[in-house]
Formats: sequence, C-alpha cells, structure tokens
Amino acid sequence: MASSTPDIPIPRIAATKRTTIYRDMVLIAAGFLVLIPLLAMHRVTDFMIFCIFVMSFDLLYGYMGRLSFGQMLYLGTGVYVSTLFSLHFNPNPILSLMAGVAGGAIVAGILGLIVVGLEGASFALTNLAFNQVGFFLVGSAFQRVTHGEDGISAGVEPWGFLDFANESVAFGFVLLCLLFTFFMLRILTTSPFGILIRSIKENESRVKFLGYNTFFYKWLTFVLAGAVAALAGTLYTLYIGFVSPVFIHPLNNVEVIFAALIGGAGNLFGALIGGVLFMAMKDSLSSYIPQWEWILGILLLVIVFWLRGGVTGLIKTLYLKARMAKGEAKEVKKG
Amino acid sequence: MLNVNGINAGYGRAMVLHDVSLKLKEGETVFIVGRNGAGKTTLLRTICGLMKPSQGTITYQDENILGLAPEKLAQKGFRFVAQDKKVFSDLTVRGNIELAAYAAGESLSKAIEKVTSIYPDIQRFMDSKAGGLSGGQREILLIGRALVGDPRLFLIDEPTEGLAAIVIEDIFRILSRLKEDNVSALIVEQNLSVVSRLADRVFIMKEGKIIREISEKSKMANSTELESYL
Repeated sequence: MASSTPDIPIPRIAATKRTTIYRDMVLIAAGFLVLIPLLAMHRVTDFMIFCIFVMSFDLLYGYMGRLSFGQMLYLGTGVYVSTLFSLHFNPNPILSLMAGVAGGAIVAGILGLIVVGLEGASFALTNLAFNQVGFFLVGSAFQRVTHGEDGISAGVEPWGFLDFANESVAFGFVLLCLLFTFFMLRILTTSPFGILIRSIKENESRVKFLGYNTFFYKWLTFVLAGAVAALAGTLYTLYIGFVSPVFIHPLNNVEVIFAALIGGAGNLFGALIGGVLFMAMKDSLSSYIPQWEWILGILLLVIVFWLRGGVTGLIKTLYLKARMAKGEAKEVKKG
Repeated sequence: MLNVNGINAGYGRAMVLHDVSLKLKEGETVFIVGRNGAGKTTLLRTICGLMKPSQGTITYQDENILGLAPEKLAQKGFRFVAQDKKVFSDLTVRGNIELAAYAAGESLSKAIEKVTSIYPDIQRFMDSKAGGLSGGQREILLIGRALVGDPRLFLIDEPTEGLAAIVIEDIFRILSRLKEDNVSALIVEQNLSVVSRLADRVFIMKEGKIIREISEKSKMANSTELESYL
C-alpha cells in the first residue's frame, strides 16, 4: 500500500534496553551481596542456583503460559550428566557444566517434540509422567551407574582458580552464571521472540494467523527452559559435589512452582524474588516449625485469591497507587 | 482467485453451511450479508482453515487449500480479522505490529508506516498497552496489522459491529483505501450503508446457504433495497 506518512522516528529500543539490563544486573548482584551478612555465603550460593531454576520454570509458565509439573527432570538431567561426565570423561568443571547443559537441552529437545503440542492439564501431567520415568531410571533402572538412592560423588577437579571448594569462588561463579542467565533471558523475553511467546500464551490461534509455526517456537522455548534448568543442575553438581535422586524427584516440582507464584510469574525479577523468599522461608520455618509446608499452603491460597501477581505484582500495584495519589495531590494543590 | 465450491461445514453433527459456493476475483471487494445465524462467520472460519468442511473444495489461485493450517494460509497472503476485535492486549500497540512484522520478515519501521498510513492517530498509542484501546481503535489496529507483509486476501468479519457512527466512518475510509489499492477482500458485514458504498458484489446468506448474488451496481447502491433481500 502506498504510504502517506513520512519517516517515523523509531526509538533506539535495543540501546535503551541494554542500559536498563546492565543497571538491573548491578542491582541483582548487590542484592545477593547484601544477603551474605544476613545468611551465610554458602546459603546465598544455594539461593542463587535455585533462582536460576525458577527462571527456567518462569520462561515456560510465566512467559509462554505452559504450567509444567516436570521441570525437575531437566535439573536432574543436568545434575547427573555433569556428574557422570566428570567421573568418566573429564573432571574439568567448565566441560562438565557444558555437558550437563547440553544433556538437559537434548532431553528437552526430544521430549519437547511430544509435549509442546499439548496444553493445560495434558501438558502439565505429561511432563510429570516423564519426570517420574526419569526418577525411576536414575533411582532404579540405572542404579549401577548412578548408585541409586545412595547417591554418587562428582569427579570435578579444580581448574585454575576455579575451585568450588573455595566458598568465595563458588559464590562468584554462581553469581556470574545467574547474571548471565538473567541477561540472556531478559534479551530473549524482550525481543520479538519474547513478544511471540507471550502472545502464544494470550491467544495461540491468532499467532498462527500471523503466519507463525507456533509449534516450533514453543519447542524452542521448551528446550531453552530445559537448558537453563540443567544449568542450575550442573551448578549443584559443581558446588555440592554429591548428587542423589532427590535432584530429580518429581515432588520437588512443587517448590519451583511455589517460588514462581510467590515472586510473580512472567517477570524475571519475580522469579528471583520468589526464589529468594521461598528458600528463606524453607530455611527459617523448617528450623522452628515441624511440617512447615502447611504455611506454604496458606501462602499459596493467599496468592491465588488475593495476590495473583505475587510480590512483584503487589509492588507494582502499590507503586501505581502511590503515583496516582501523588498526581491527585498535585492536582488539588494546583486547584 | 478464491473458489469455494459446494462447502458443507458445521460444529459436530450440527451442519451450519449447506452447499455453499462463491468465487472472488483479484482486487474485488465482496460482502457477505445475512441475519444472525445465517452462517457468515462459519463460512469465513472455514475458508481460513479454522474449520474443516465435511464436503466441498476451496481453491486459491488454482491450488487446493483445504486442510492447510492457518499459518500456511497467512504465508500465502491470507489475512483474517476476526469479529471479536481481540488484539494481544498485554503487548503495546508497537508490540502488536512488531509481531506481524517479524512474521512477515518486514522491518518494524515499514510495518508501523503501513499502519499509520491508514490511521495516523495510532502513533499516539504506540507505547500504550493494546488492551486499553477502544473497540474502534482495536479494529483499526487489527486491519492495519493485517497490511504488514504482502497481504493478498482480506477476510474480515463484521468490522463495524458495535462501533459508534463516527468510528464506522473511519473503518469505512480504511476499507475504501484497501479497495483503492486493489486488495481483494471478502467481508462479512451487517451495516448495509457500508456495504452499499463499497461492494463490487454481495452475497446474501440465509440458513447456511447463499440465496442470492447481487452484482448490479444499482441494486447494491441502495441499502434499503439490499435490506429487502434479508
């Protein structure tokens, strides 16, 4: 069609976004550093690994609208592939990490072909079923390799300054991995690809009408989420050095779902806040209250009924209200 | 260009369309009119691949398109603008356009230029959430977004439904613009004033059948006469 509009100034979105992302990354790093005196460095490292896992889940659920009950499978794959790689191929931590992430991505790539065509309960439960199968394989079928319930020690050895026995090195490395994951996911979720997966969440058939093969984009997102979960898994391997089927247990999916909901789904900051809050509650409440999970249940009810956007949603609402109140006050003053 | 031949389609056992046939030539603006429940929307949904007919054929430029997925039809230049005026409400107006531009492999600036060429005022809302637009603005955004890429055939379902008279004139102006640009369009419309001013041909539907085709300008130009066929 002929156009009657002259050149339209398109803002330099990419440049602005990058600056904002760098600022946010500094904030995140500062936030975790502040936590060190309050908790302990090794606990904060644990928190950060869990936060990476929550971001992987949020990519699937918060951004693409697919609730998975089986994300532990990919975390577990990362854990076991990196452990076995370090034992049988190479003890280098970086190579083990790469093997673990690749393992998670490959498993997600294969299973994704089956599950991404599904929606709603079918998607959630099929993922859970695959997770259950993975748990069985690790705990029973391949017991000779994985040592089943007894667990297995990783064979990762220090590489240059990268010695995970050193708490500060482990903290620094995990923080870098978390910032890298945040940076990549932030770029991804604000790119046209991110717009696309958010639109699939809202109305998939309309996205198809724009000419998109939604299956491919859903599959790609599923693989990325699997790879990020596997990254969290490999970090557990490197940091803890001992793995057991608890890292692939289907019941632990509840934790990541709760964390994402507490923080606010569809928001990377929400994933980080939710991850930290969940871990903090788990740490503190479990020390004082036996069977503390009932408190979590009540919290979930509160979120479902009153706080759909989680903590980040609440912060946004309060901020908007404060701004509106400020605006009204100014109007009154002018009047 | 588009040849619908002997289509039977419906929802489960309830057949809505009975032996529906129509042809659309390149550059034509053809309207389908009829009372509620006549099967107009079902016909559009069948043509654009959302429903599978139990009988009949649909060809587009002599190629059988029956059973093609909506994304394949979109790649062939089909643009479906549904009746519900649903945009991607969580995205900004710019995000909505960007999504179409990305699919079509077109630059965002060119895509925005196309949308603003039919409705310059949309510039003001570019960074607002599309969910906050009025019904008319949403419809305009949907039609504008459909211009992105290389559209060959517009299938538009009730573009003026539920809109104020002043907005209907905006929509009319945009549809006129499509017509001037020789874009083929098959439009379901209840507003006979719009139909009478734009149509090259009109199909009247009743109870799932096309009961009449009107191509005489004199008959189409008179909305009162058109109404008598309903």
